[in-house]
Amino acid sequence: MRKINQTTLAFLLLICSVGLTLAADREPIVVADLGPQVGDQVPDFQLPDQFGQMHNLESIMGPNGAMLLFHRSADW
Amino acid sequence: MELQDQLETLQAQGIGIAAISYDSVEVLSDFATRRGITFPLLADDDSSVIGDYGILNTVAAEGVGDNADDPDVQADVARYVSVFGASQMIVGTPYPGTFMVGSDSKVTSRFFEEFYRERNTTTNVMLKLGVGLSPIAAVQGETAHLKFTAYPSNTTVTVGTRFSLALDVEPGPNMHVYAPGAEEKGYRVIGFNLDQPEIARIEPVAYPESEIYYFEPLDERVPVYQRPFTILQEVVMDADAQAEEIMSNLDALTLTGTLDYQACDDAICFLPQSIPVSFTVDLDMPDRQRANR
Repeated sequence: MRKINQTTLAFLLLICSVGLTLAADREPIVVADLGPQVGDQVPDFQLPDQFGQMHNLESIMGPNGAMLLFHRSADW
Repeated sequence: MELQDQLETLQAQGIGIAAISYDSVEVLSDFATRRGITFPLLADDDSSVIGDYGILNTVAAEGVGDNADDPDVQADVARYVSVFGASQMIVGTPYPGTFMVGSDSKVTSRFFEEFYRERNTTTNVMLKLGVGLSPIAAVQGETAHLKFTAYPSNTTVTVGTRFSLALDVEPGPNMHVYAPGAEEKGYRVIGFNLDQPEIARIEPVAYPESEIYYFEPLDERVPVYQRPFTILQEVVMDADAQAEEIMSNLDALTLTGTLDYQACDDAICFLPQSIPVSFTVDLDMPDRQRANR
């Protein structure tokens, strides 16, 4: 019985240390891996512009494609 | 906004444009009026499209959340949010960047920076894509072996700007200049050799694809350029507080160095050449003006 308890204790300690390791190892952020990659379809959207006119991907699209710029803010 | 200046060039190439941010229509309207912007600035005021695109900056929310004091979170905040720390204002913003999509809505290229203060300029993105630009502030020259035009992608830069010095080269008749790989055979590869500035980082030169030239007298195959080509030398303005302090006291940055190359025709190999070049770009501090709310 005593032996089982020791094994259980060791097992619990192991789980705790694994848990701590996971918490400490923060997943690094790789911006290049986020969002659609080359060859992937981009999501459609419905958004108003500065004049209040609605746009989607189709209305933005030129005959040879589009440039979609994501900014933090126009204001700061 | 720099993009407004390039709008006609992009439209002439058949490329549509939209800029997306979490600002409200009111804020965008005010900004567009102040800066004379006519292309669509889209108001994603609940950041839902930014989320759909998978580029929401989640570090911003962490930086004002329960784990704000975690040193790892703070390190990420300094890199991806602000060196001055996170604030509620930044929650909901994307990692800034640009997607180029084809008419089939598939991504053809994308330009994102790992460090939030380094940005590609629009003209730099256009140069990298090979979209034509009318050279501004160009340095032109002609030697016995080639003609060249060198120009910066932008005449004004600021803290963290990533821009390019472009070099258009037209080799003379029957001339070739050497491409990367030719140094192994003892030839001088064409490129800029710029002095390291105090407040900017010089990146490696980006070369277009070269062709293999067979030089019969030596039975040698060497990578060269024989037709007009463009190389790009990227420069990234520093974005730390010290660089910002230095820049605030300067009106312009002059980059000096040499354009080095070696040219040969089918009989003669000329000595390596080194032509002094200098580029001056105006320095501007980031726009701190705000919309009236």
